Amino acid sequence: MSLTRPARCMFCNLSRAASAAPRVPRRQFHPSPFRLNDQKPKDPAAVPPVVSQNKPEEVKMKLEEISRTMKPESLRPYTEEERAALAEVYSPEQIAAIEAGEAAIDPKDMAEQFGIRSDPMRMKYLDDFSHIEPGVDKNKRAPKTNSDYQQKMKTEDEIVADFAKYMMETPREDFSVEHFIRFAETTRVTKGKEEAERNPHSAMAPDFFQQGEKLREMDDEGKEGLVADESILKPGASLEKEAPPLKQLIESTGLSKEYIGGLYTKVLVFHTVTNQTRLGKVQRYYSLSVAGNRKGLIGLGEAKSFEAADAQEQSRYRAIRNMQPILRYEDRTIFGDVTAKVGAMDLKLMTRPPGFGLRCQSLIYEICRAAGISDLAARVNRSRNKMNTVKAAFAALLSQKNPEDVARARGKKMVDVRKVYYSGRVQ
Amino acid sequence: MSLANLCHVISHLNNVTKARLSLASIPNTKLHLKLCLALQNDGFLSTVVRGGPTPPEPHHLLGHPSSQDIEPVTQSNVASRRLWLGMKYWRSEPVLGKMTMVSTPKRRVYVDLPTLRQVVRGNNTPYLEGLRSPGESLYLSTDKGIMEARECVEKKCGGLVLCRVR
Repeated sequence: MSLTRPARCMFCNLSRAASAAPRVPRRQFHPSPFRLNDQKPKDPAAVPPVVSQNKPEEVKMKLEEISRTMKPESLRPYTEEERAALAEVYSPEQIAAIEAGEAAIDPKDMAEQFGIRSDPMRMKYLDDFSHIEPGVDKNKRAPKTNSDYQQKMKTEDEIVADFAKYMMETPREDFSVEHFIRFAETTRVTKGKEEAERNPHSAMAPDFFQQGEKLREMDDEGKEGLVADESILKPGASLEKEAPPLKQLIESTGLSKEYIGGLYTKVLVFHTVTNQTRLGKVQRYYSLSVAGNRKGLIGLGEAKSFEAADAQEQSRYRAIRNMQPILRYEDRTIFGDVTAKVGAMDLKLMTRPPGFGLRCQSLIYEICRAAGISDLAARVNRSRNKMNTVKAAFAALLSQKNPEDVARARGKKMVDVRKVYYSGRVQ
Repeated sequence: MSLANLCHVISHLNNVTKARLSLASIPNTKLHLKLCLALQNDGFLSTVVRGGPTPPEPHHLLGHPSSQDIEPVTQSNVASRRLWLGMKYWRSEPVLGKMTMVSTPKRRVYVDLPTLRQVVRGNNTPYLEGLRSPGESLYLSTDKGIMEARECVEKKCGGLVLCRVR
């Protein structure tokens, strides 16, 4: 709510302020202020002519017009034809109830309630408030608790009285033991709200599952109705034969050996690094790898070792361990242009149309391949250090903004026009 | 229309969002007010309240005004008025992202409608980069008021480009 609008018009709907602030209707899906069409037509001649007077009065009045010019006199009893029409739908008792109900309402009240309000306190929009509009109205919630502070146990006399009443009401002919059992099962032992006894508050966790649902268990994998997740390690699978680094990876991630084998991994940067100590130079191998499942999951891993193969293997495994999801637009490119900066690297990834391909340098190409991105352009500015290029590209892919989050944060509706145009048939 | 003051406002708002503050105050001018209202209309700001040198009462910011409490702007107090802006954050990230000036006091950038159409579609133009990222906005000062670029295209008017919000 903005207070910059002057206060003089607080109670005056008839003369609006000259637009000191944008007029915002309650439900707004567009940034432009809503123009209320409250101006009278400038040219009186342009007004469409009134309906010709040959037809009878009842025919030309629409419901909206009736409700606008509602008067107590316009309420009249049913004609014979209308009665006949009612009789087709309702039973005589129902018709009698309808007439009694309508007779109970004062015509003056009816005219006031049914007519469209014209007073200065009226709403600025047409609504009879008979429905709850999600997004506009507050949610209608169930009561938070069923507890009743007035709840009391019934005394012995009251239970006896209940029993006596129950016996009196049961028909004598088919009296049997079942009636006693039913009384014992259905009678209430407390006074107060019925829900308080039948459905009391519980400190137990609520029932999360629908009928027949349960937590997914390892043994159920692949059974009917359940899709087997190939990535998860099967229980009881033997890891004895695996090499220690792979075994450690499987144990720490819980991924199956086949899934790990199917992942795309690649060593991107590999060189020696030297540590100068008092005793001389200590040379080791450095490796930076990327891993991905080509479906939006990528990770980077770094490792150093005295053995070249060891460093490469270790970095691959660390990349698999570091895998995390990134956003992909239509499973082919990224959401918008993203930039990232690592050290002196200044890198920009740009979204591109379908069929554009990966027009970028080799390192970014490999990362995109691992992630399953097929349309992208990249620009690497300033420094072109290989290690930092990889890290910056990874950071840039992670820094994408999800349009849904943007919409939620701003409280605005956002629509992907591409999906609208192709009626959802993209990807 | 002082673009120098607007530059100060924009860099102040950038500092405010970096510091994750909930309330910011900027000098009260018609340009700042119109821009802030446009930002509020697009959901970047929660509240825009005109107040004095001290922050307004919380019930103003929460959107429950009472007409007696609003101090009218008079000749004697107009110099001390400030705009108090309620900043928004979503999942600990600022909703109002990085703001940058497009026009500067030294070089004002005007766009006509055909250019603006290109910009809104995401194409780069000689003086103005396209709106390419999701949620990116561009604010223009036109003869129909300060508006977002897409709205300018809708209303078929170009104008002076003020700032970009990423």
